[in-house]
Amino acid sequence: MGSAPRHSRDPLEFRPKMAETPPTRPAPDEPPLEPDAQAYLELRQLILAPEQEALERLHQRVDDPASRTKDVGSVVAEAIQLRRKQGGDEALSVALAPTIETALRESVRKDPGTLADALFPVMGPAIRRSILETLRSFLESFNQVLDQSLSVKGLKWRLEALRTGRSFTEVALLHSLVFRVEQVFLIHKKTGLPIGHEVASAVAMQDPSLVSGMLSAIQDFVRDSFHTSQGQGINRMNVGDLDVWIEEGPYAIVACVIRGIAPRELRDRMAEVLENVHREYSAHLDQFDGDTAPFAKVNGELSRCLELRYKEETKTRSFGFVYATAAILFLLVAGWFSWRAVQYGRWDHLVNTLREQPGIVITSFGREHGKFVVRGMRDPLAADPAQFIASSDVNPADGEFHWGGYYALDDGIVQQRAKSILSPPSKATLTVQSGVLQVSGAASANWVKDIQSRALLVPGIHSVELSPELNPGRLAFNQAKSQIESAVVKFPVASAALSPPERLGLGKLAENIQSLLQAADSLHQSSTLEVLGHTDSTGAEAVNLDLSQRRADRVAWELGQLGIPERVLRARGVGTTNPLRTEENEENRQFNRSATFRVSAPVP
Amino acid sequence: MLQKKICMLGAFAVGKTSLVRRFVESIYSDIYQTTVGVKIDKKNMHVHGKDVSLVLWDIYGEDDYQKMRWTYLRGAAGYLLVADGTRKTTLEKAASLEQRVREEVGVIPFIFVINKSDLIRDWELDPTLESQLAAQGWSILRSSAKTGEGVEEAFSLLTQKILE
Repeated sequence: MGSAPRHSRDPLEFRPKMAETPPTRPAPDEPPLEPDAQAYLELRQLILAPEQEALERLHQRVDDPASRTKDVGSVVAEAIQLRRKQGGDEALSVALAPTIETALRESVRKDPGTLADALFPVMGPAIRRSILETLRSFLESFNQVLDQSLSVKGLKWRLEALRTGRSFTEVALLHSLVFRVEQVFLIHKKTGLPIGHEVASAVAMQDPSLVSGMLSAIQDFVRDSFHTSQGQGINRMNVGDLDVWIEEGPYAIVACVIRGIAPRELRDRMAEVLENVHREYSAHLDQFDGDTAPFAKVNGELSRCLELRYKEETKTRSFGFVYATAAILFLLVAGWFSWRAVQYGRWDHLVNTLREQPGIVITSFGREHGKFVVRGMRDPLAADPAQFIASSDVNPADGEFHWGGYYALDDGIVQQRAKSILSPPSKATLTVQSGVLQVSGAASANWVKDIQSRALLVPGIHSVELSPELNPGRLAFNQAKSQIESAVVKFPVASAALSPPERLGLGKLAENIQSLLQAADSLHQSSTLEVLGHTDSTGAEAVNLDLSQRRADRVAWELGQLGIPERVLRARGVGTTNPLRTEENEENRQFNRSATFRVSAPVP
Repeated sequence: MLQKKICMLGAFAVGKTSLVRRFVESIYSDIYQTTVGVKIDKKNMHVHGKDVSLVLWDIYGEDDYQKMRWTYLRGAAGYLLVADGTRKTTLEKAASLEQRVREEVGVIPFIFVINKSDLIRDWELDPTLESQLAAQGWSILRSSAKTGEGVEEAFSLLTQKILE
């Protein structure tokens, strides 16, 4: 380019030193040349003509802008490539930048749609990525706040977040949303015809052609009515539970019919699907004539908008192990609790058994420093708690017992206490009922006499009841009776006279009779004493009978002398009819020469 | 599946809706026409051994109260131009509509349907009009929504023209 100034219209002017001659061709207005010069010129023309023509052509090419453009045009791409290879990339960019900028500006000014359409597939992802980054950082800070909160649900979500590697917030948000994408439409914008349509299972649907048509009609209607430009139609419609989300591209729109509240994530998914469709089918979309055959595979792409719902389901499936862990934990806890419950049950049972024992009072039962502690009071005569502990299922090492002493008033215990203190004769029976000591059986009069005062010293006994056979009057009566009836007054052979010792013996007998009469008196009974006279078998019967009568009379008389009232005495001779002993020897015979006594009383 | 967007065009009350009513699948009520300005129906055709699904945009005929929305014509593969044989003005309107379509969306196949053939004695039709229009290359059919005459043929003919 720097050589431009040297150019001139005459090619010979810059011809090398070939000749210092004037110009080749004479100008029309130039004078005719000399013959020599003419010859030279011809010669020169002969020799140099081809080069000259070439030069001429070159000249023309360089001068003519059209051919220069053509030349540069054919190599400009290679030149730029070469330049880049040589490392002049930056300088080239700097040089081209203003032009490209102007060109872009001009393109946008003329028709923003062209550039927008061209950039559409790349702009979406770029913008989304940037928004995603911003959101992610927001979520992280939000996370930290939420991290403080703890709840069962929160814990569950936290587990899921840990497991899936998502942030807690994301999981929390996802769970707060319940939704289902029921239908996805891919609608050709220009014709309003459905290109693709996907339906979730068990969803009642209308003819997609009609719905697509009406959706586009409504889009057009709204755009017309509010004079908005392309790409600014409705992007959301809400009807009761149903939401229709619309995402618009240059050639097609994606519409999702959603039940419930869908997350923002779905909108991104829709945009992504729309971009993919535009990228893969741009030519088909542009020339769409109602034939959906080229879009046979588009439904796979559309179903990605339905996938969000399925994801929820797979999530539930993969929850399995969380549930399993929870179940095991639950079983462990439940097991521990039921073991505890069993332990408590056993101890409870033991304590209740002890509580039922007479002479044992439980004042408290509970767990202290990891042990079962039983406190209470125990009568020394009560059953030994150790025997109940041993026979129960509890582990004695798990528990402690603290007993205080006391006198129980339970009849059983009082009865035992009475027996141990009063030491009754073996034939006597002691029973206690509501603090009353009942004495029955056989016992000596003295013991019976004692018991009435001594029993009241036994804790828990406030009165004594003697059974009838232990009545003191009766006892005295019986005692006197048996002494009287065992007495024998002996007589010499064939005589009714009393020897001095026998008479003396009658004194003792009279005392007994007095005791008997007193006892009978205390029992409000009358009693008589029969005096029986006996003889041995020697001698005549009549004589013996008389003798026996006299002997009886004699003793009765003597007793009368000793103060026994006559009205209680009956003297009767029985002869030999009631011998005391069989007369085998003299001694026995002596026993039959006697008087004996029989007490008659109505008392049993 | 082959689908085609078809528009029903014509002056107000020429019987467009009546024409399609008995021959189409419909889920929308006629009220959409007066509100949104269009009602969409569907008709399945079998032409030249091909199944074609016609999506009919029954566009509200222009009247004193509402203008026709030309955006609804966008992307149409063809249209039925309907006029009422008993009203001359509707025939004139049809001609102007045809011209307007050419301006708005270009040349697309259409069938000119003169409706109410059951009332042919009341027709205000210039007897030469049909031949004049035919000479211009128009396809013309007489129809009656009441008797059903010419309706199937109109859709069938339009479909054939579209598929050519």
